[in-house]
Amino acid sequence: MKALELIGKGEEMHGRAYIKSDKEEASSIIKKLKENGFDHFVMLSCVDWIDNNEFELVYHLWSYEHKEHVMVSIILPRDNPSMSSMHELFPQIETYEREIHEMYGVDFEGNNRLTPFMLEGWHDMPPMRKDFDSKKFAEDVFDSIPEIKEEEDEGI
Amino acid sequence: MGLFDGDIMKYEDWNKISRIASRKSLWMVHFCTGCGAIELPPVMTSRYDMERFGMGPMATPRQADVLLITGYLTVKTLKRVVNVYEQMQSPKYVISFGSCPINGGMYWDSYNTVKRLDRYLPVDVYVGGCMPRPEGVMNAFLELMKLIDEGKARGWEKYQKYYEQYKRNQKMAFNFEREKDEGA
Repeated sequence: MKALELIGKGEEMHGRAYIKSDKEEASSIIKKLKENGFDHFVMLSCVDWIDNNEFELVYHLWSYEHKEHVMVSIILPRDNPSMSSMHELFPQIETYEREIHEMYGVDFEGNNRLTPFMLEGWHDMPPMRKDFDSKKFAEDVFDSIPEIKEEEDEGI
Repeated sequence: MGLFDGDIMKYEDWNKISRIASRKSLWMVHFCTGCGAIELPPVMTSRYDMERFGMGPMATPRQADVLLITGYLTVKTLKRVVNVYEQMQSPKYVISFGSCPINGGMYWDSYNTVKRLDRYLPVDVYVGGCMPRPEGVMNAFLELMKLIDEGKARGWEKYQKYYEQYKRNQKMAFNFEREKDEGA
């Protein structure tokens, strides 16, 4: 595959190029890919591998020229995860970073817009983390809300 | 001596006429939440054509009579729904679609959807199903008209009467974290 030749490492996975990288190297890899035809940034996703105590950030890129999909994967530790922002390369990354900051609590250095995004008035831990107990939260919050007590119907 | 003092027409009779008139011209707010909104285009357009019952969509809550809750309701949307509901003029009716506003449905353990709508707003008619078919929606409209005719669709009066309780529940849902922090 074109991307694997370009970077010189990685493997093919279900018809896509899958490149494992680390924090420091990632931005140079993505920059190189961008300069060589992979100029469509598809999305940034995050996986919580709670058993290994790590997060995996995956940068998806697509090339219209080579018709190829590349995934650049970065492993971060689960405690105080932080990554450098790449919004200089692709401006739309900023929004994905905001979302992942809110849902997983990953910090992106250099992104100045890590403000509350979709959740309103949220003070608990980031809800997409696997150790967030959604069921217990729902029971605590919504089951504690009482029913409306009605008086005897006297025909309003 | 006025119109309603018994000289010209009894208050009950006038009420009955006003109910007949109001059930024949129900306008619904164009406010859709969740996935049930996709069932409304067939109901509104020529296939099922709700215009034949005198129903139509209305872009402003000030001139609308029916509020449809079409599916799951997040806490964030509930704020907007309450805003819309309180802007509507009485008499006003609420129809809830699908299983989500009844008991949470498939979002029963979700962190951001309210589970039971009747704790925050008075609901006149429930439509079960996930999602209800347009036939079910039409049936709910006819049921609502029947209830209005019999004078049983009194959710808006309940909302006025138990306003404090509804407000308390809404605030509990909106500020759940803040209250917890203050209590701790």
